[in-house]
Amino acid sequence: MRTAELVIIGGGPAGMAAAVKAQELGIQDIVILERDSHLGGILQQCIHDGFGLHRFGKQLSGCSYAQIFVDQVQKKGIQVECNTMVLEITQEKKIIAVNDKEGLMEIQADAVILAMGCRERTRPQVRILGTRPAGVLTAGAVQRYINMEGWKPGERAVILGSGDIGLIMARRMTLEGIFVEGVYEVMPNLGGLRRNKAQCLDDYQIPLHLSTTVVRVHGKRRLEGVTVAEVGPDRKPVPGTKRYISCDLLVLSVGLIPENELSRKAGIVMDPVTKGPVVDDQMMTSIPGIFAAGNVGAVFDLVDYVSQTGEQAAQGACQYLKDSGKNVLEHSVKAGENVSFVFPQKFSSEHQKQAEFYLRVKKTMRQATVHVWCGEKELCQKKVPFATPPEMVAVKVPLAGTENHSITIEVEQEVKG
Amino acid sequence: MQKEYICIHCPLSCDLTLTDDNGILSVTGNTCKRGEDYAKNEYRNPLRMLTTTLRLEQGDSKLLPVISSDMIPKEKLGECLDLLYSISVTAPVTSGDVVYKNILNTGVDILAAKTVVMQP
Amino acid sequence: MENREVGCQIKELEKELGIAEGSVSFEMKDEILYLEGNLDGLQIMVDFCHKAAKIPGVKNLVSHIRTPESKPVVPVDLEPYQKKGVLDSVDVAIIGAGVTGCAAARTLSKYDKKILVLEKESDICEGTTKANNGMVHSGYDSKPGSLKALCNVEGNAMYSQWAEELGFHFNRTGSFVCGFNEEDMKAIQGLYENGVKNKVPGIKVIDGTRAREIEPNLSDQIIGALWTPSAGYVEPYEVTLALAENAVDNGVRFLLNTPVLGILREGDQVTGVVTDKGVIQTKAVINAAGLYADDIARMAGDEFYTIHPRRGTLVIFDKENRGKLHTFAGKAPGNYTKGGGPQETPEGTLLWGPSAKEVADKEDMGVDQDDLDFVIEKGLELTKNISQDTLITYFSGNRAATFQEDFVIENSKKLHGFMHVAGIQSPGLASAPAIAKRVEKLFLELMPKASVKADFDPIRAGRKPFRECSNEMRQKMIQENPAYGRIICRCETVTEGEILDAIHGKIPAHTVDAVKRRTRAGMGRCQGGFCGGKVVDILARELKIPPNQVTLKGNGSEILKNPTRQSQGGEQE
Repeated sequence: MRTAELVIIGGGPAGMAAAVKAQELGIQDIVILERDSHLGGILQQCIHDGFGLHRFGKQLSGCSYAQIFVDQVQKKGIQVECNTMVLEITQEKKIIAVNDKEGLMEIQADAVILAMGCRERTRPQVRILGTRPAGVLTAGAVQRYINMEGWKPGERAVILGSGDIGLIMARRMTLEGIFVEGVYEVMPNLGGLRRNKAQCLDDYQIPLHLSTTVVRVHGKRRLEGVTVAEVGPDRKPVPGTKRYISCDLLVLSVGLIPENELSRKAGIVMDPVTKGPVVDDQMMTSIPGIFAAGNVGAVFDLVDYVSQTGEQAAQGACQYLKDSGKNVLEHSVKAGENVSFVFPQKFSSEHQKQAEFYLRVKKTMRQATVHVWCGEKELCQKKVPFATPPEMVAVKVPLAGTENHSITIEVEQEVKG
Repeated sequence: MQKEYICIHCPLSCDLTLTDDNGILSVTGNTCKRGEDYAKNEYRNPLRMLTTTLRLEQGDSKLLPVISSDMIPKEKLGECLDLLYSISVTAPVTSGDVVYKNILNTGVDILAAKTVVMQP
Repeated sequence: MENREVGCQIKELEKELGIAEGSVSFEMKDEILYLEGNLDGLQIMVDFCHKAAKIPGVKNLVSHIRTPESKPVVPVDLEPYQKKGVLDSVDVAIIGAGVTGCAAARTLSKYDKKILVLEKESDICEGTTKANNGMVHSGYDSKPGSLKALCNVEGNAMYSQWAEELGFHFNRTGSFVCGFNEEDMKAIQGLYENGVKNKVPGIKVIDGTRAREIEPNLSDQIIGALWTPSAGYVEPYEVTLALAENAVDNGVRFLLNTPVLGILREGDQVTGVVTDKGVIQTKAVINAAGLYADDIARMAGDEFYTIHPRRGTLVIFDKENRGKLHTFAGKAPGNYTKGGGPQETPEGTLLWGPSAKEVADKEDMGVDQDDLDFVIEKGLELTKNISQDTLITYFSGNRAATFQEDFVIENSKKLHGFMHVAGIQSPGLASAPAIAKRVEKLFLELMPKASVKADFDPIRAGRKPFRECSNEMRQKMIQENPAYGRIICRCETVTEGEILDAIHGKIPAHTVDAVKRRTRAGMGRCQGGFCGGKVVDILARELKIPPNQVTLKGNGSEILKNPTRQSQGGEQE
């Protein structure tokens, strides 16, 4: 059986950042297992700019962001197995994977970092009614067809969901000559960043319809059209508002779900809110020595954060390999007022004086303040000029003096926005 | 006359209002200087980054993602794309390579956004 | 029964249903009731016909009653198709490649006859069969003495042998009809007595506690249940494919994408069928056309039943629910169409439904809000510990029901050589082995001299899916062919090797859906989000067609349209 000090499952931005950091921290025997033919993960199909502003201070495309890490992985001579699918991870950190060169392989790892990313929600998950014709695709699938395969899956598109992927695809399809009839959003507010609406929709006069959703798909073989309807506060269609739109492509940008089938099979404790493993500030899961990084833990808005959690996981793995530490999922981080979740969910004050936490707010707020409490004691606060649900807020928390108590993070709105 | 913009510089996405008082431009709603510049630029000469893919020959992928070295006048994006779609690039290519120099005399180069090796 | 008496009954029915007198005119001939006229709506027409079919002396019913939903029937001019000439000459032409047609083909493949199966769609199993819930019913609810009751109990018993010979998944884990109150228990007692008459093995009425011992996730509100241990579960497309492949092993041929447009005769003997590609000469025709069996019967000049599509919606839940439920849990029937309930499929997904709703159009396979609500509410009522969040897909299919609500399995009295196998709806899948046995008997009436081939082999050599293999077997497979080491569908662990086997199989899979039904690629939780494009690529490569000619389910369902601008052309720089 092969052995490795550290096996990283997934060669996207989280996995590559983890590998590079782990090597810098002195871990020699690292293997990245990647199911695709190339490193880069979903960034391979993200040809648009807007990546790496935090980390590199400049406008990179998803591809060029990924390339920076690919180059580092190669330069450092980190071992990469592409076209390799992991079938199983055991509690003892034995990994069973398969590829067409070596067949079935077993690798006994000392530590594992899960970096499998996320997948898109599908049409049935948003309960669209009607038939099942060709021409209904997720935004990611459309992006791959257009940006990597060079094929247009339609000529007249309707987009459901105003998250950033939906907005980016509206522009991309328009530039490729596909007519985008409109972007429909079931919620009363934009799902993605406003600047993306400005440069992706407004620049090309693509209408955005809020509180409106696709209720039905028409066409037996190929999509012929969709019915849209306005929705009330209960998100149910308002009678009398139905409208038929002729189109041959319905693009679904209706959310992402962390990919955790392997984690679940391994028996790792999951968080029902983030749909990822419960981790501590070292990104360690409920199984000692197994870590989670990037979108597998919680869906992030910025790739910069994804890389950062990869590095945190690498640090955690390095620490674990040094002192083969005990399971430290002990103190909870709770989501307080105006916060829908905090990631990581646990922390241990053993290794670090401070830890980085990521949170999502429940509503849009201007001039907000993040407060971190440990009982009655305020550990720190952070001013956030603008907080909105699509964007995660990162906050560094000093952990000294928490004395094995849980902490609560809340966001207070000072000026109503 | 007045124009409204959403600033694209940072996640704040400020709502900007630009007033043109006989050629004298003033901006409100911004929280920083970049917002003011952005609104004025949007009014006079809006600029955008250009990203797309180019046809790639002999590479281990079909298409090469590219990015502009700087912003390009918005109204020239269509023409730039027409031009870029008429050419192809041959592998190997290294990320950052100039694949088209000084496109439409804008002073902006088009750069490869990915390293692609030759098809094995 | 005399026409005058039937007339009185029709008049009474009109009164009962509040229809203007004289809306429906009739003719009664050879125990067949023919109805014509105009009614205000689909449901009233269906109710009327159901009641009329019960008039004593009526063996079957043809309805040409028009409703606002009716579409005009456009007659097909056969001449241009006949002019295309003779395409093939066979002994038996089977129309329809659903489970019934494929079972007939496989059973008759033991005889020294040339058999051809004609299917209008791009793959076998594209009609009623694919949207079946896969239940092999025990047979407690069909009317004693009906063909349904006879075929169901007999067919159920034959499934063990089928599964062994044909190598498909079959779990005989039993089924429940659950009661929540005394009224339900009365209905259950009725079903029990019915089941005893139908000779359902092991049938029992048990209390709620005992029911939950067998199936712990049944609702705590259930006070008692009808328990039939003989019920089982299959994947309907797997059964159909196994039958078709074994038929091919024994010399049967399949012609897909080939609709039948007419039936040819000389005197009262069938001589051929007209397809869109030309004429197929044949000595016998078996009508296993499912939803379209009445149209085919009309072409044969022997229309004595009408198929009214009754739609059923199914909901599938993620495999992470595996083990939460093993058996089917139905509810005591309160009305005419009972529909189904939750069960586990052999693949470990949960399946809820189907619902039951009369629809006007045989091709109307949409899902409406009420269908979805019906299935989900019923499932939630019957079970516990199953979250709606784990729903991965839903879809509909149409049952091919006659108004008599029974099977029609007989040789035509009007056209020699033409066999009806129609009205095959639930429990058609469970009954399929017994239906095939009856088809064989009828076939021998038509061709008494047919003899069994010495080399007939009822065993289908199947290959275990990669996901079910031991790691040692997997290693061996990959050593033999590296394509088994390339995982294409992550959710269902489907390898490229299995997809290639499907594309080049005995019934070649030429569409994305056909690949899905054979391999499960795209059937999992991401619904083809990741593997869809890869499957399109593999199909294009293997079929030597551009990717934009690859279809989801046959012509007109292409997935990709045109190349993007840059990939169309461009000069070297």
